[in-house]
Amino acid sequence: MTAVGDGSAARTLVLEARGLHKSYTVDRSDHLAIADISLEVAKGEFVCIVGPSGAGKTTLLRCLSGLMAPSGGVVLLEGSPIVSVPPEVGIVFQDYGRSLFPWLSVARNVALPLKVRGIPKTERTRIVGEVLSSVGLGDVAARYPWQLSGGMQQRVAIARSLAYKPELLFMDEPFASVDAQTRFELEDLILRVRNEFEVTVVFVTHDVDEAVYLADRVVVLSRPPATVKMVVEIPLSRPRDQLVTRADVEFAALRGSLLSLVMGH
Amino acid sequence: MTAPVTPQVKVAPSEPATSSRGRRIGPRTTKALISLGSLWLFALLVALWWLGSNNSHSSFFPPLRLTLIRFRQLWLFADVRTDLAPSLFHLAIGYAIASVLGIAVGALMWALPLLRQASSPVVYFLYVLPAPILIPAVLVLFGIGASMSVAIISFACVWPILLNTLDGMRGTDQLKIDTARSLGLSYWRRLWSVVLPGASPQIVAGLRAGLQVGIILMVVSEEVGSTQGIGFFILQAQENFAGTDMWTGILVLGVVGTVLNVLFVAGERFALRWYYGSRAAARER
Amino acid sequence: MATTTRGVSAPGTSRGGGRWYTTRTTNLAARLALIAVLLGIWQLLVVGGALNKDAFPTMSSTLAALVDQIHTSACWTTVAQTLEGWGVGVALGCVAAIVLGSAIGLSRFAYRSTIPVIEFLKAVPVVAILPIAIVEFGTRLSMKMVLVAFGVFFPLVIQVIYGVRSVDPTVADTATSLQVRGARRFFVVVIPSAAPFIATGVRIAAATGLVIEIVAELIGGGAGLGQRILAAENAGPSSLPVMYAFILITGLIGVTLTGIFTVAERRTLRWHESQRNIVSRGAS
Repeated sequence: MTAVGDGSAARTLVLEARGLHKSYTVDRSDHLAIADISLEVAKGEFVCIVGPSGAGKTTLLRCLSGLMAPSGGVVLLEGSPIVSVPPEVGIVFQDYGRSLFPWLSVARNVALPLKVRGIPKTERTRIVGEVLSSVGLGDVAARYPWQLSGGMQQRVAIARSLAYKPELLFMDEPFASVDAQTRFELEDLILRVRNEFEVTVVFVTHDVDEAVYLADRVVVLSRPPATVKMVVEIPLSRPRDQLVTRADVEFAALRGSLLSLVMGH
Repeated sequence: MTAPVTPQVKVAPSEPATSSRGRRIGPRTTKALISLGSLWLFALLVALWWLGSNNSHSSFFPPLRLTLIRFRQLWLFADVRTDLAPSLFHLAIGYAIASVLGIAVGALMWALPLLRQASSPVVYFLYVLPAPILIPAVLVLFGIGASMSVAIISFACVWPILLNTLDGMRGTDQLKIDTARSLGLSYWRRLWSVVLPGASPQIVAGLRAGLQVGIILMVVSEEVGSTQGIGFFILQAQENFAGTDMWTGILVLGVVGTVLNVLFVAGERFALRWYYGSRAAARER
Repeated sequence: MATTTRGVSAPGTSRGGGRWYTTRTTNLAARLALIAVLLGIWQLLVVGGALNKDAFPTMSSTLAALVDQIHTSACWTTVAQTLEGWGVGVALGCVAAIVLGSAIGLSRFAYRSTIPVIEFLKAVPVVAILPIAIVEFGTRLSMKMVLVAFGVFFPLVIQVIYGVRSVDPTVADTATSLQVRGARRFFVVVIPSAAPFIATGVRIAAATGLVIEIVAELIGGGAGLGQRILAAENAGPSSLPVMYAFILITGLIGVTLTGIFTVAERRTLRWHESQRNIVSRGAS
């Protein structure tokens, strides 16, 4: 069941999932994490995925991004089925402390995907400098990730994922491990770089407020085995603002209805 | 309404340490004083040894005084070339072979799970087998001399290095591997750029264990089957009732062990800067 | 979000079951196959002449000698002699290390004073004092015991000190707030926190102790497996199978001893790990 939006513009689909389901065995018993999920993400959209705890949000993200092969169904990236993680995809994880490589400096961390793609050194240095400036970390290139604060580390992780200009950026509860104030800064950051890099974002979060603030559409998952309970359009105006948007009456209404959907009333 | 003014909080700098006379000493001096102060026990023990042995006439517990004199005669630096250098040379070669083999085979075993599963009983058996037990067999195979020492040193050192390499690689954070996949690294690229560096602290632990085993085998292999080297020197001195010579040999081993340990730790601190830094940062949080 | 590590580091994921053979049987088969292949290669190399017959026994003769020896009481006496020196030495070394290590770990002054001495003595290879032990104790049990105890003591005491000193600050603060002090604090807070370090240290001590015991026998002439093997070597090529048989026996002893201590260590670690996981799992 989707709440139909405008639909007039021809939407180029970047990501399409059809009939996904995923089960895996834990201690000899089969556990169906995802029952039947189909969804579509158009180019340039910011889609948030929310659901109750343990709903399989992370499993879904891993299937969509290619980290995990689903038990059934297909995931299409720009029309073709994905095999493992496509190079046009970026992923930002929640645990930045473990995702960033501690034996590499910030600059080397960000340069790694560029190195892998065969980009020459001078070009790499330029790109690294640019993308670090975009996330507001122009002067920490030579430091090590563990020398930085949590918020800064997550910025580095975001920069690293954006350095090679992916089509699609997956984010798995990326701001859950930082303090509230930093979270607001990072939310605004991701909106800004989304525009700057013209990247499509699929953002998993347990925080309904965050989902409403960030998204164009919110996909609500049911309790496990997960299905798409509802897809809600977020017609709030852009650019979003932490004070203005959150004070908007419609924000509260959307938040309320999403919360009741998630909590299962 | 004017915006509220955030009060400036001044944090007082920590008081520098003062000596009993109330003058201020810098932090560096304090550290040095603490190190010196903790050496009192060391100095005391040496003093006791000196005094306790001073009037001894036993050939095997000579006065420390005489031992030190003999030490200077023999080991600074005359006998180093004939008696110590060959041993260290054998150790170096054996250890180098073991390091290369251990890391390479360990990585191979990580990359090929079936090989790992199939060989783990054999590897484990060879790891817990006390290496010195093989010396007589190696003697028969290689005869007395250098190749015997190098062979047994290599054999003994390779197992801890191999197993620690394997363990370190297996303990790789799955999240790092997922991240590497998301960044587009191929399988071999992942092994080289993510798994091996991530495993390096444990590989280094294996290298250190290997070094300690190597030193033991260096000495023991010479004591059982050689006509040169520090092990042979000490044993021969003991058999010839040359007490001071024997003790100088023991001192040499002590120095060698300590120096190698210090060098290793220094090298480790340098190579694993990132690791120590990140652990320290994590502790502070 | 807890990413359950499925332990698969190779690309792709493992699909579910559905095969008639399990991973366990494949592994077992592979292991047996590899051992059989290695034994076969051994036999071929010697019989075929690639390895000198005077320097290397055939696989078949070695296994025959092994079976022979196991049935003699002399073999088990030898084993017992080795285990005697090892057992007493390890026990002595462990007790001394745990007692002294606890005392040193709890006192900052003692720690600072003794650490340089201990670190230095630990760097000295225990084989260095072998000649002194021989001079002092001859080839008796006491010689082996003392060497093993010394060799085991220094690394273990450092482990104990480290364990005693690394009580989780939160745990320590909690204990203080609950007025847990003195001896009770030592036994209820310090020892359990240090237990994993001590367990690991003891396991390593058991292995190190066996190596030192063998060395003491090889060089010092103490009774046991090492000496037996040396005797076989001196008896010429006809004793080669017996020598290798005893090498295998020593290996099996090593496997058994290490196995026992590893199981004990795992038990202790499991408790500690599960304790720690309960605290940190709250975040997900």
